[in-house]
Amino acid sequence: MTALTQTNPAGQLNRYPPGDLAIWIFILAELAVFAIFFATYAFTRMNNVELFNQFQQHLDRDAALINTLALITSSYFVVRAVAAIREGASQICVRWLLAALGMGVLFLAVKSAEYGHHFSAGINLSTNSFYMFYLSLTFFHFMHVIMGMVILAAVALKARRGGYSIEDHTGVETGASYWHMVDLVWLILFPLVYVMH
Amino acid sequence: MQYQSQAVAKPYFIAAIGLFVLQILFGLIMGLQYVVGDFLFPEIPFNVARMVHTNALIIWLLMGFMGAAYYLVPEESETELFSPRLALVTFWVFLAAAVLTVAGYLLVPYATLAELTGNHLLPTMGREFLEQPTITKIGIVVVALAFIFNVGMTVLKGRKTAINLVLLLGLVGLAVLFLFSFYNPTNLVLDKYYWWWVVHLWVEGVWELILGAILAFVLIKVTGVDREVIEKWLYIIIAMALISGIIGTGHHYFWIGVPEYWQWWGSIFSALEPLPFFMMTVFAFNMVNRRRRNHPNRAAVLWALGTAVMAFLGAGVWGFLHTLSPVNYYTHGTQITAAHGHMSFYGAYVMIVLTIISYAMPLLRGRKVAASNKSQVLEMWSFWLMTVAMVFITFFLTAAGILQVHMQRVMDKPLPFMYVQDQIALFYWLREGAGLVFLIGLIVYIASFFIGNNEPEAEVVPST
Amino acid sequence: MNEVFTKSMARNIFYGGSLFFILLFLGLTFDTTRQLPKLDNRQAITDKVALGKALWEENNCIGCHTLLGEGAYFAPELGNIYKRFGNNKAAIKGFIMSRPKDGIPGRRSMPQFNFTDEELDAIAEFLKYSSEINTAGWPPNIQG
Repeated sequence: MTALTQTNPAGQLNRYPPGDLAIWIFILAELAVFAIFFATYAFTRMNNVELFNQFQQHLDRDAALINTLALITSSYFVVRAVAAIREGASQICVRWLLAALGMGVLFLAVKSAEYGHHFSAGINLSTNSFYMFYLSLTFFHFMHVIMGMVILAAVALKARRGGYSIEDHTGVETGASYWHMVDLVWLILFPLVYVMH
Repeated sequence: MQYQSQAVAKPYFIAAIGLFVLQILFGLIMGLQYVVGDFLFPEIPFNVARMVHTNALIIWLLMGFMGAAYYLVPEESETELFSPRLALVTFWVFLAAAVLTVAGYLLVPYATLAELTGNHLLPTMGREFLEQPTITKIGIVVVALAFIFNVGMTVLKGRKTAINLVLLLGLVGLAVLFLFSFYNPTNLVLDKYYWWWVVHLWVEGVWELILGAILAFVLIKVTGVDREVIEKWLYIIIAMALISGIIGTGHHYFWIGVPEYWQWWGSIFSALEPLPFFMMTVFAFNMVNRRRRNHPNRAAVLWALGTAVMAFLGAGVWGFLHTLSPVNYYTHGTQITAAHGHMSFYGAYVMIVLTIISYAMPLLRGRKVAASNKSQVLEMWSFWLMTVAMVFITFFLTAAGILQVHMQRVMDKPLPFMYVQDQIALFYWLREGAGLVFLIGLIVYIASFFIGNNEPEAEVVPST
Repeated sequence: MNEVFTKSMARNIFYGGSLFFILLFLGLTFDTTRQLPKLDNRQAITDKVALGKALWEENNCIGCHTLLGEGAYFAPELGNIYKRFGNNKAAIKGFIMSRPKDGIPGRRSMPQFNFTDEELDAIAEFLKYSSEINTAGWPPNIQG
């Protein structure tokens, strides 16, 4: 595969897609899984519209909105982190990454509180097909957030040691690409599962 | 052959081929019993023939994997094997256990074998593919431990390549997951749930690591493409295999009494299972197209490409055919399953073992690079005979399966199993015919080891 | 120059991705284990059922039959045989008992296992237990 290359004013090589190509293969596979999952959700909902609408009302939309904002903000922070490392500013990059991680923690905390609420109400994967999809999709995504945070943390650690530079910061772009994917999936998941009637 | 100790691979390969013959002969017996129900009854009832057929397959593939490991690990590690003597001892123990077990199947009724081997002390027998007496299973564990120790020590003292590590990981996974064969609760659902941890997580999990590692090794050797390129594709392919395959276990959990969400999880992830196989096909052809040299062992190249294609067809396409739960509801436990089983085992695992044998055997037998043209031509004939025969076996079983599903599961007035079997007998006859062609291919394959030995080695064909 | 597609990234994806899905699989297994008592008919497991399962295994019944769709495809599905035989254990016992020692000319036949009455009873009880497992509506009809 040929990567398009161009030189920006700073004289640095910017590739498209950014980051390691391997992560893009992975991202595509992940998006494929989510796409199939969303499609089956839509298909099942079509056959059980009333059930889905009824139990959708029980979800905490405010919490989900907070989480949406948290993830969007975190994505912005990650963008700033990438911009910083493109200027060669490692420590600023680390700070933005930590901020993004903070937003990730917020997401996990809010989502955990939601789960706690569901579980104490005795809801589980076998309750009905709405909850099966809701719990499966959100939990699968929840695990991706954790995974993304592990990746961002690893990137931040390496950045703090000065492991990236203007010339070589593929790792930051790789981690950022993955994190944006996690965010993107939530941006589809949120309206689909929480909002859409 | 670069290292003396690689020679221990040879007995493994020879025994593997021997058990392969046994497997095919019993396959033909079973195929005939499908249409001539009383053939060899009651001396060799169907269930006994089937045990020999499937167990011989598993054992000879394991033999092949071990032989492959003993051949390629020293070369990859750039050091002699830790202990060639241990490798030979485990070979004889393993072969003896296999022969005794098969003899047990054939000489006494299964219930007697269970009694003789003290199955009641730790009941593990009588479950599909895990029919071996408990004592044999323990033997397999001991052999596997000795083998992994031997290979692991070799890797530790030598160069650690991606191929070595992936192979070792696959072998350790194989051994660890086999331990679930000792768990056999009375609760049928739990029994089945964990039974698949051996069966599915072997063939759609850790075995794929072994397959990928062997294929990568052979491709490096025959194409001369840069190791870095091949190894990174190896990682990506096996990553996809495990990502789809682990949760893909769920496609076995649709109808065995576990929560229904497995229908969704299983369907979604197994829909992705063709992906790694597709990537493997693209990868193999890509590497051969980018080859830096024409290797004189054209037969090995053919087997390697054949593995990639047939694994994709058998495991990928034929697997996907019936993996989605609404389809599987009708096809579960029919000849469709048998069709998929035949082509995927042949395409993925039989062919990869034959690939490494094809590459390594001439070297183990003292050739410098490859066998003579004459034996290679025979070997390539056997490739086409066996592969085409297997394609037809799969087609005929698929046809039988579709008819079976229709008559027994779909029609308004579903018909009884045995009645349906009579109706589709034609396809069983055709399958048996294709099976005979397979046997002819196998005979040609074996002949290729004996013919053309006095002729000079094959030379590189100038590329056009 | 930066490598576009690195081996170390491919390796990390392999290890990270595998670990991720192993954890997910264990999580689902945990939930399954908790849900099973409602589905797997475990309250019906008696000593007799256990004996029946042992006999089922020690005579390699799975070598010809399927049970809940798994096994060999040479002989009928037995997961619902209890129901197919009209919820009648005696019919199951009678069938097993009456198999001719030397088979049926030209046709498939079950071997004669010479079970005692107690053993026959245990096998029938095991098949009854199996037929009452919640299999999500499978098989599609009584023919299995």
